[in-house]
Amino acid sequence: MSPRRVAAVARRIAEGFRRDRRSLALLVVAPLLITALLGWVLRDQQQGSVEIVAVNQAGPLGDRIVAVLQSAAATAADGTAVETATTREAAVAQIRTGTADMALIIPASLPADVAGGSGPTLTVITNGTDPAAESGAFQSLQGLVGLVAGSLAPPGSTATLVPRIQRETVYLSPDADQLDVLAPVFLGLFAYFFVFVLTGVSFLRERVGGTLERLLATPVQRSEIVLGYAIGFTIFATLQVLVLTAYVLGRIDVPAIGPVGAFTIGLNVQSAGSPAIAFLVAFLLAVGAVNLGIFLSTFARTELQVVQFIPIVIVPQGLLGGVFWPIDRLPDVLQAVAHVLPVTYAVDALREVMLKGSDLGSAAVQTDLAVLLAIAAVFVVLASLTIRREVA
Amino acid sequence: MAAVARPGSGTPAVEAIGLRKQFGSITAVDGIDLALEPGRIYGLLGPNGSGKTTFIRLLAGLAKPSAGQARILGTTMPDRPTLARIGYMPQGEALYPDLSVGENIGFFATLLGAGNRASIDRALRLVDLVDRRDTPALELSGGMRRRLSLAITLVHEPPVVILDEPTVGVDPALRVQFWSHFRRLADAGTTILVASHVMDEADRCDELLFIRSGRVLARGTGRELRAKAGTDDLERAFLRFAGLDDEGNPLPEGGAAPASPPAAPTGPPAEGPA
Repeated sequence: MSPRRVAAVARRIAEGFRRDRRSLALLVVAPLLITALLGWVLRDQQQGSVEIVAVNQAGPLGDRIVAVLQSAAATAADGTAVETATTREAAVAQIRTGTADMALIIPASLPADVAGGSGPTLTVITNGTDPAAESGAFQSLQGLVGLVAGSLAPPGSTATLVPRIQRETVYLSPDADQLDVLAPVFLGLFAYFFVFVLTGVSFLRERVGGTLERLLATPVQRSEIVLGYAIGFTIFATLQVLVLTAYVLGRIDVPAIGPVGAFTIGLNVQSAGSPAIAFLVAFLLAVGAVNLGIFLSTFARTELQVVQFIPIVIVPQGLLGGVFWPIDRLPDVLQAVAHVLPVTYAVDALREVMLKGSDLGSAAVQTDLAVLLAIAAVFVVLASLTIRREVA
Repeated sequence: MAAVARPGSGTPAVEAIGLRKQFGSITAVDGIDLALEPGRIYGLLGPNGSGKTTFIRLLAGLAKPSAGQARILGTTMPDRPTLARIGYMPQGEALYPDLSVGENIGFFATLLGAGNRASIDRALRLVDLVDRRDTPALELSGGMRRRLSLAITLVHEPPVVILDEPTVGVDPALRVQFWSHFRRLADAGTTILVASHVMDEADRCDELLFIRSGRVLARGTGRELRAKAGTDDLERAFLRFAGLDDEGNPLPEGGAAPASPPAAPTGPPAEGPA
C-alpha cells in the first residue's frame, strides 16, 4: 500500500469535483434546501382549524354537551369551532362539501345511558381520505370530550374532577418537536444518499470511460483505489456534514429589513451531544456508501441505471432504518431486515449522541460504531472484488 | 530479476508461450507463441473480434491467461511492479473529462512512479500540449485527446509500449507525427506493439503479425508476407493467410486455421533483429 498512490486517487476525485460545480452544489445545497424545507414545514405548520358539526339527538343533556364543547373550543382558540346541525344527513353533507371536518353525533340514547350508569357512546364521522390530519382532529376532539365528562354528571352532584397532566421528559425538553428528533438523523441519511449516488456515477464513468482500464494498467493496487475513493469522497461528505450540522444546530436571527420581515437562519435543534461523535458516525456511514457505490456500479451500464438503484437501496433504508418509525414497532420480518441495514445503526447512534448526549463510553454507541465499521469493511471487500473481476 | 532487455541482450522484450484466454465457451486467444525483440515496431493486424485486444490485455497484465504465459522483459504477467515498465494505450480515450491536461497526466504519472515535473513536461512537450496544461480534457479536440492519451502512455519512459489502435480517429498529419514518435522510441531501444486494423499503417512497422480467431496466422515484414501470399495488396495477403479469397469467402481447399504452411507461423522471427 503506497500512501502516495492513495493520495493521488483521492486528489483526482477532489480535482474532478472542483470543476464539477453541479455535483458540489448537489452535495451541499440540496441537503440544506431539503432540511430547511422540512424545518419550515414541521415548525411553522398552519394550525389546522377543525370544524366540528354536532348533531344533538339527546335533548337538553345533549344541548349542555354542545355548549361545553363550544365554550371549550372558544377558550382553546386553536381554530377549533363547534357548530350544530339538525340531522346526521345534514352533517354528512357538510363533510362532503368540505365545510365541516368532523361530525359528532350525540345519540338519543344518551340520557338513558347516563342515567343507567353505562358509558354513553358518541359517534364521530370524518371524511376518511386524510388519516393523518383526521387523527389530529380526532385528538383535539377527544381533548374536548374529556371536559364533557364533567358536564354529564346530573345537576347538583359533584362534578368528576378531570386531572390536568403536566409533562416532563428525561431527554431534551417537553416542547421538543418532531424536527428535533428528525434533523440529527437526516445528517446521516443525506451523507449516505449523496455519497452513494456520486460514487456510483463516478465509478461507473471510470468503467465506461476506460480510465479504470488505464488505472489497472499501472502498479496501483485495488485497495489503494478503494481507499483513495473513500478518502476523496469523504472530504466532500465532511464538508456536507459540517455545513448541515451548523445549519441544524445553529440559529441566526435576521432582523426585519424594509419590506422583508424578521426571519431566522438555522433550525436551532436541541442537541445534547458532541457533534464530533455524530460526525464520526456519518463518516463511517459514508465509507460504507462509497464502497456500496463502487460495488453497485458494476451492475449498471449507464448513469441512469445508477439512479435506478435509489428506490432499491436508499428508500428502504430510509423507511426501515428507524428514521420515521421506531424499529421495535416494525413487523418481525422487517425488523430482521432493519438489523442488517447500515442506516439503522447510524440512526440509532446519531439519536444516542445528539438527543441523549451519549459519548463514546456508551455501550449503545460502541455497538453501533462497531457494526457500522463491520458493514463498511464488508463493502470494501465487495468493492475490491468487483474491481478484481474486471481484471480476471 | 535484473535482466534489462536491450537490443541484442537475448531476453525477448515481449514473449507469449502457449498463451490462451477463454471466456466461457469462447476462446479469444487460442495458443499464441511468439517472442518480440527490443527496439522494433511490431504491427498486430487482424479484423475486429480476432482476439487482438484480448491478446494485448494479456500482455499488459490486465487479464489472466487461461493457460500459457505472457512475459514482459522476462517477468510473467500479470505482475504489478512490471506494469510500471509498460506503456499501455487503451482503445478509447480513457481520460478524465473534468480534469485538466496537467491533472490527467499528473495523476497517471504518479501511479506509474513518474509524477515529477520533468517527466510530465517532457511527455507534454513530446505531444505538443505544453500550453494546454490547464485546459480541461473535455474542451480538447479529438486529436488533442489522442495526443494526451499518448503522452500518458509514454510519461514514464517505458521500455515496452503496447498501443491498441492508437491512430483511430486521428487525422493524417497527426498520424504521421505519431509514427515518427514511435520510430524515434524504437531507435532508442523501446519495443512497440501496435494493434491496428488499418492495413495502410502496416508498412511503417518493422514486422507484422496477422492474427485471426485468436491465432497468429503469419509473421514477417510486409514485403515477405506479400511475397508469400503472391499479392501486392496487404489486405489480400491477409485474406490468403486466413484461407479466404479476395471477397472474404473460404478458399475451396482449406479450413481457416491450419492453412498457410508458407507462413513461418508463430516461432521466433524469420529474420534476426536489424
